[in-house]
Amino acid sequence: MPQPLSYTLVITGAPWATQAPQTALSFAQALLKAGHRIDRVFLYGDGVHLASALSAPPSDEQHWPRLWSEFLSGNNITAVACIASALRRGIVDKTEQARYELTASNLRAPFEIAGLGEWVEGNLKSNRVLYFHGTH
Amino acid sequence: MPENTTATLHIINKAPEHARFRHCLASAQQGDTLLLIEDAVLALLDRGKQLPGASYGLEADANARAVANRVPADQLVDYAGFVQLTVNHSRIINW
Amino acid sequence: MTTLIVIDQPPYGSWAGRDALDMTFSLAAFDQPAAMLFLGAGVNWLCKGQAADAVGQKSVAKNLSAAALFGVEQILVDAQACAQYGLEFDDLLPGSTPSESISETLSQFSRVVFAG
Repeated sequence: MPQPLSYTLVITGAPWATQAPQTALSFAQALLKAGHRIDRVFLYGDGVHLASALSAPPSDEQHWPRLWSEFLSGNNITAVACIASALRRGIVDKTEQARYELTASNLRAPFEIAGLGEWVEGNLKSNRVLYFHGTH
Repeated sequence: MPENTTATLHIINKAPEHARFRHCLASAQQGDTLLLIEDAVLALLDRGKQLPGASYGLEADANARAVANRVPADQLVDYAGFVQLTVNHSRIINW
Repeated sequence: MTTLIVIDQPPYGSWAGRDALDMTFSLAAFDQPAAMLFLGAGVNWLCKGQAADAVGQKSVAKNLSAAALFGVEQILVDAQACAQYGLEFDDLLPGSTPSESISETLSQFSRVVFAG
């Protein structure tokens, strides 16, 4: 098959508020099946809600944070939630919990907190950068 | 005539009434491809919309909205087709 | 390989514009070429005299005015939308360039990005 390409996927739409996490996951699965590579998944704006460990949807609905974390872990894909977006929305890891003296942390593995530099790097290094937005 | 001659893949997920839809259509050049995903698949039925020649809807979104059977089959692509479109275009705008 | 970041939402009602600004300034901070286009209702980000504190927000006027110093190559503004919102060139923060044709403007950039 022709040369595999590398992708950075940016998700800016939140689960259950937009289709972004679903479209992105279906795309990502098809991408790997076609033999291409995902360099990283970057959550920005409302997309950071996908990295919450505390989502508790009804049992008959798709559990987007869990589906995504299984996909990322199962395929060893780097996944980052943008720190500025995450902190505002209360998505924090243990480091930020300590820094801001918050009562809990709730970042779902394997997501990590990082800055926009990760997105800039994707822009530089990946063959393709795709965005999965909401509809506002 | 614009300098850039790279064919562009425009991917849009907004319903046809959304302001950004108009800007997307206005920006599509000869040779570009338009991929309608999520709510944007409705544009395939919108008689008021002039879509560029190479316009496709994402099949799953057309099925969800019960529009797939009102659109020619060769205008729908599945997620594998979505992937292939992104492989074929080095310039992609996500509207 | 200049990236054009597009803002088409007005200020204060949503954060899309701020997220777009953060992306732009991040590119510039990493010495990557970046430009901005204010499109449609987004042109109102460039209006002089915004009193953001009236709604408990920070104004971005200083950031936008200093964009060139931060390394942002161009600030383009949708001329048609300015006319629609009754904005003359003097009503806008300094340093912007009018875009008469959005299609033409977009075609000049290898990457075009919306923050949301």
